[in-house]
Amino acid sequence: MNYSPEVLQRFGLPQADGAFPDETEGVVRGEAEDRSLGIWVRFDVRVHEGLIRAARFRLFGCPHAIAAASLICERLEDQPARSLSAIDLRVVAESIDLPVEKYGKLLKIEDALLECWRSLGDSRATSEPGNSRHPGETKDS
Amino acid sequence: MSGRPLYLDNAATTAVDPAVIAAMTDCLGSDGNFENPSSSHPGGALARQLVEDARERVAALVNAAPNEIVFTSGATESNNLAILGSFDADPRPRRHFVTTRIEHHSVLDTARALQIRGVEVTLLDCDAQGVVTAGQVLGAITDATVLVSIMHVNNEIGVIQDIEAIARACASRGVRLHVDAAQSAGKIPVDLSGWGVDLCSLTAHKAHGPKGIGALSVAGGVTLAPQLHGGEQERGLRAGTLATHQIVGIGKTYELARPERDGPRLAKLRDMLWDGLAAIDGIRLNGCRERSAPHILNVCFPGIEGESLRLALADIAVSAGSACASDDPEPSHVLSSLGLSDALAQSSLRFSVGRFTEPADIEWAVERISAEVQRLRALANGAPAWCST
Repeated sequence: MNYSPEVLQRFGLPQADGAFPDETEGVVRGEAEDRSLGIWVRFDVRVHEGLIRAARFRLFGCPHAIAAASLICERLEDQPARSLSAIDLRVVAESIDLPVEKYGKLLKIEDALLECWRSLGDSRATSEPGNSRHPGETKDS
Repeated sequence: MSGRPLYLDNAATTAVDPAVIAAMTDCLGSDGNFENPSSSHPGGALARQLVEDARERVAALVNAAPNEIVFTSGATESNNLAILGSFDADPRPRRHFVTTRIEHHSVLDTARALQIRGVEVTLLDCDAQGVVTAGQVLGAITDATVLVSIMHVNNEIGVIQDIEAIARACASRGVRLHVDAAQSAGKIPVDLSGWGVDLCSLTAHKAHGPKGIGALSVAGGVTLAPQLHGGEQERGLRAGTLATHQIVGIGKTYELARPERDGPRLAKLRDMLWDGLAAIDGIRLNGCRERSAPHILNVCFPGIEGESLRLALADIAVSAGSACASDDPEPSHVLSSLGLSDALAQSSLRFSVGRFTEPADIEWAVERISAEVQRLRALANGAPAWCST
């Protein structure tokens, strides 16, 4: 297997790996797995005032998956919370020269992010009854 | 460390010993013994003498008679010649072949080729440690069995089979036994004559000799049908001009090999590696330490994805499964036969030490592996149980 410099760099020294301590304010968690694909991934995303302040990941999987999760976390920072539901997988795949047979793993990473997005909606629905906006978005976001 | 990966893949192949290189080089140039060993002129006679000297050295290492040694291109060809040659020489209409699920692909694929020809094939299971017993072999033999083929040392997990007992079982039923000794010759004692083995495959490149040369030991009275035609070389069993330099190479390789000296040294290095790695939580050895060849250690690192493990340790040359199938995303057939899940099989690595491995190499490897395992496990902290079972 040949790896792009991006994958080698992010695999050897992943950015944004880890998790936020439990009960950290504003953190939502999303998780996805597929045993047949050999991937498990979990994101912790800290959102404040509609913006993603930081994202962290934990992952069991191949070097491409690790690089993809690291790249996504980095790119999510300071983006509107709705970015969690709008990751451009094609751009991520191109950035790390993802082999086509590994696209399924990227979809699992997307699933985990969507779970964060849904969790964010749930938490806002709980804390702000009557809020009719899409989950995670503040009025000015 | 130099920029080159630390080489711990000596079960895949080995660096050629300088003394072997020197002996081979002497056979190549115009001032060396380059002549055809089949030629009748003095140069040919001298080359022929070198070939016969090499034959004696090969025979001596495995306790066979020199006239039983047939030179081939390596163990794969020897396995093919032993198996296909045995069946082609047996005219019975109903024929049966017995081997195991953990053989090298050169045996398993040849077994499939026999199946296509209508031969019945029995693949014996091994136990969780990779052992196949003489009782299993005996139980599988039928009146139609032409050949039993069992490898001496498994190339992936290093487990040593009790060939002496298996040979007795075969002899009790009058069935021919073939042994693939590619991984054992030079590392542990091989006693073909004492054990009563009929056919034995050998190679040079696993024992610090060159690639492209091996041998098949064919015991007296064993008839084989040749698989190559076009010359009477090697008692008519293997046509083709004898490659003097290669044959001299295997001769020198086997002359230098001293299982009684090399085996304990290799075992010490292997044990040093295992003792160092054993401190890693949850690590497990694939195979059986008490019945393992001295140079092979197959280790499972639960909780770490296989591809990531291999990339993380790219500065250590090792194999996932056999080297012949390391690019194959399918889990190793040998590890699956031991009962490992796909995840565990893919989280396993084969380390193999050799003549040029030093204790300092092992110390460095233990440090590197431990650090990377810790890093990758932290990255996957919280992963579900299937990732490590």
